[in-house]
Amino acid sequence: MSLIHVHNLTKTYHSGEETVYAVNNLSLKIDIGEFVAIVGPSGSGKSTLLSILGGLTHPTDGCAIIDEIDIYSLSTEQQADFRKEYIGFVFQSFHLIPYLNVIENVMIPLAITDYARSEKFEMAMTVLEKTGLKDKARRLPDELSGGEQERVAIARALVNHPPIILADEPTGNLDTNTSKEIMTVFRQLNEEGQTIIMVTHNPENLSYAKDCITLRDGRIFRNVNQHEPISVEG
Amino acid sequence: MKLYNISLNSLWRRKTRMLFLLIGLTIAVSTVIILLNISRAMNTDIAQKLDEYGANILIVPKSDDLSLSYGGMAVAGVSFGDKELENSDIARIRSIKNKENISIVAPKLLNVAEIQSKRVMVVGIDPQSETMLKKWWKIIGNKPGNDHEALIGTEVKRKLNLGLNQSIQLKGETFKITGILEETGSQDDGLIFINLNKAQALFNKPAAISLIEVAALCYDCPIEEIVAQTSEKLPGAKVTAIRQTIQSKMDMLMQFENFSLGISGVILLVGALIVFTTMSASVNERKKEIGVFRSIGFRQRHIMQIILLEALILSGMAGLIGYLFGFLVAQNAAPLVGAESLIVQFDGMLLLFAFGLSLSIGIGAAFYPSIKASRLDPTTALRAL
Repeated sequence: MSLIHVHNLTKTYHSGEETVYAVNNLSLKIDIGEFVAIVGPSGSGKSTLLSILGGLTHPTDGCAIIDEIDIYSLSTEQQADFRKEYIGFVFQSFHLIPYLNVIENVMIPLAITDYARSEKFEMAMTVLEKTGLKDKARRLPDELSGGEQERVAIARALVNHPPIILADEPTGNLDTNTSKEIMTVFRQLNEEGQTIIMVTHNPENLSYAKDCITLRDGRIFRNVNQHEPISVEG
Repeated sequence: MKLYNISLNSLWRRKTRMLFLLIGLTIAVSTVIILLNISRAMNTDIAQKLDEYGANILIVPKSDDLSLSYGGMAVAGVSFGDKELENSDIARIRSIKNKENISIVAPKLLNVAEIQSKRVMVVGIDPQSETMLKKWWKIIGNKPGNDHEALIGTEVKRKLNLGLNQSIQLKGETFKITGILEETGSQDDGLIFINLNKAQALFNKPAAISLIEVAALCYDCPIEEIVAQTSEKLPGAKVTAIRQTIQSKMDMLMQFENFSLGISGVILLVGALIVFTTMSASVNERKKEIGVFRSIGFRQRHIMQIILLEALILSGMAGLIGYLFGFLVAQNAAPLVGAESLIVQFDGMLLLFAFGLSLSIGIGAAFYPSIKASRLDPTTALRAL
């Protein structure tokens, strides 16, 4: 059974009287432990697809089933619970909370859990160690470089052990060397069994992913499939 | 890491703006506390000084005769016949339902006597209650102690050329002048006061009383009720409330209370608007932050908790500081309201009221912005995915 099963997914927007298909009747399956890169030109529907997979954007049609849960049959609050359990987001602009220090940013997902204070601290320090930021736990985000901020964002996405990491242009604001460092972190995480779905514009990042799908006009244009983990339906 | 950590850090991050919000809310709360404290202190002040204004109820026999004047108050004719009041009526007055409000009962027997060929009004009084009732009396010497002692007004002293320790003859009996009343500017200057019992015996009117002046502590209860209750107990008497003694003061206080209420309402409304606009602006500024929280899995109520907790902390602080500030200002506000002094005491209930009021305004005004924040669409809020 696939971890993610998207079936006949469509998302339309209205621009004046015109209907724009951000995602157009798209179906795919992704197994546990995959590292999938989604590429495509601007407006091809990459971010919309990621947003739908993360339970943030309701599709116009079709369904998104993750771990046998049809996420858009859930209520708004159940979708929030789903995100807490299943999804770790990594954003292009990091989206760290400026008034919280590094470890507090990492612990945000734990603020709504019942773990003891010491457990939360331990969990946060573990992921900070994994992302190489243990010694900067008390720094504020604006005291960090772009690469370090991205590592904090990754640590925050990992801290409550979600089965899926959704990364939207994780290296979009980083220089080449820092991008390589971040992609190395992603590859290490994937080698440890973490499922990662990443939207990227950077062709160099594709070599870190196991699989790649290219979108155009909301449809899957090409599937670079080394091990056939992604199955494209229809 | 708990939700309150996020709220506290957020407040600290926006400390300048939040300080202004805190100041605004504190001013609103303290103004209400100042006005409340002043009007309560004025009430207390009036209650304490009420007996200093003298009697506020006058009891005279019902009479068809024309009245004699007693200091501007209507007094039934001196010859009362069958309708005179009696000593026992004093106990009846003290037995009315609102007896707790009866402070002083001062009975009098009025008679006319002739001294040195001059007609003088002789008043039988209970010296103890009379001096309590008329706190403005200043006596040179002493009030009448035994049945053959007298207190005279300053006009009597002058016209009859009398002095302290001299004697006067009344109905063939000798009375020693033990006290002279300093000029009061009232009818008391022209009177001779002796003990009530002695006057009753001297004028052959045993147990008779011409009028009774009553001081009722009734600054915050309808004096008409006490009048009605007394009338019921004394069907043969005419009981009249002398309203003018405190009415103007009460009217002023009532006006001040109404004014305070209006001002408080406006200030609280402004306070609520300050919280509302600041919190709304804060929510608009924090859209991305809220989007992050929602994408991480925060429920709508978690977002509301963060916003409302901030409002709770600020308004709680404003309540406490506002009470203390209001308390201190009210203590020194006597000249502002034309009072010589105001006794403002620490009041735990008022502190709780200030705290509750501030929390109600803060949380009430932040409620809509918090709902608005919680309902933000996370994708729109983030504008990243």
